[in-house]
Amino acid sequence: MYRRSGRGRLLLLVFLALSIIIITLDFRQNEGGPLERAKDISVTIVAPIQRGLTTVFRPVGDFFASIAELGGLRTENERLKARLDAAESEVRNARALENDYESLARLNDLEQPWTAMETVTASIQANVSSNYRWARVIDKGRDDGVRPDMAVVNADGLVGKIVRPVTEHTATVLLLIDPRGAAGARIAARRDTGKIQGTGENDRLSLELIGSNSDVFEGDEVVTSGYNEGIFPPSIPIGVVDEVIGDVRAPEHTIIVDPFVNFNELDFVLVLTESGQSIAERGGRG
Amino acid sequence: MSVAAKEPRSPSAWAEIGVPRLFAIGGIVVLALALQSTILSYATILGVIPQLVLVVVLCLAFTDGERVGLVAGFFGGFLQDLQLPEGSIVGLYALVYTLIGYAIGVMREYTPAESVWTPVITIAGASAIVEFSYAGLSIILGQQWIGLATTAKVVGLVVLYNTLLTPLVFPVVKKVADRYRPERVHRW
Repeated sequence: MYRRSGRGRLLLLVFLALSIIIITLDFRQNEGGPLERAKDISVTIVAPIQRGLTTVFRPVGDFFASIAELGGLRTENERLKARLDAAESEVRNARALENDYESLARLNDLEQPWTAMETVTASIQANVSSNYRWARVIDKGRDDGVRPDMAVVNADGLVGKIVRPVTEHTATVLLLIDPRGAAGARIAARRDTGKIQGTGENDRLSLELIGSNSDVFEGDEVVTSGYNEGIFPPSIPIGVVDEVIGDVRAPEHTIIVDPFVNFNELDFVLVLTESGQSIAERGGRG
Repeated sequence: MSVAAKEPRSPSAWAEIGVPRLFAIGGIVVLALALQSTILSYATILGVIPQLVLVVVLCLAFTDGERVGLVAGFFGGFLQDLQLPEGSIVGLYALVYTLIGYAIGVMREYTPAESVWTPVITIAGASAIVEFSYAGLSIILGQQWIGLATTAKVVGLVVLYNTLLTPLVFPVVKKVADRYRPERVHRW
């Protein structure tokens, strides 16, 4: 009775030892260690399948939605055309203003605003969240100039930042709602700064202000403060204050912020390729 | 009798698993991971994602026993570890899945063989154990935790999801496993 006696205990011990060695390596590893390379390889293997599945199945979701909307399409089309014309002229004006601003900013040694930064548009390719971490894989990577620590935004506001693993053609976005997705933040209308952090829930971020001496109210807008964490440019919209727990003037308080970004429905994001380390370096010099 | 010492080393273990089956199992695990991170991640309840890789590992352990269970568990878990963003502990899913793959493989011999419910109930229980172990080990290893309420929510929903997935996944895994099983002597 080979099977009954053996039970693969030796095999079990071998693989348990292997797991523990991997965990130990992970705790000691520096940048570019063997696990880093293993991550790159595993992402490279799985990424094409993920990309395939996403391209095949995302249109299905849209397809059913569009059958329902078929009737309204013609009027929608007219309306959008009109809006596009208006938007185009606005873009022309904005571009002129942007040029003016940039030359003024250069003269006055101001920081570049995030809206004028170089961006890379990326599409979400996979959701690599575990049930305790919140992250996405995008279809742009090292070859497109994406590097760890760069800020990621969409039309609504701050989405998160780039973290490893970053491969040639993919990168990982750590979402702001991840408990480790912290950012320097401030109440937009005031100068009070602090730190905003994910709580693991889609509609709640937690903000803690440092040395604030004015009240915070529900509905106050929260934006990135810039430079606190060294990687996010200032004034990216984050969300609005939902609830204030405790006295903001005391060290023990929590401000619950409702984010602008809908983290359930991320399709496209912009990577600010001039943020991240390049900001940290500029901050270091100044 | 000192069984473990006399047991032949890895060659026999690998021979029992077999190279074609190794590739077939690898293929299923990679596909499960890709599905889990794409289609299944759109179908979340309260933000909790079904753990398809775990279900596949458990089904394999159930159809093919502890050796296949623990090897599939290790590779499935490790692959899942490698996909997570930095700051997660790499190797933790590998460790937990290896143990559960082995445990289910051993346990299956003591469960009623032909009942449809056996794998479903076993996998529901195993999912709860896995989620709690993962949470517990993360805390022990110094990960920042988000609280008992979230953990309880995650465990509950993962058990529900995995229970629903099992009747769909089990027949597929069984079919592939049967096809690539090197010898059929030990079916019972």
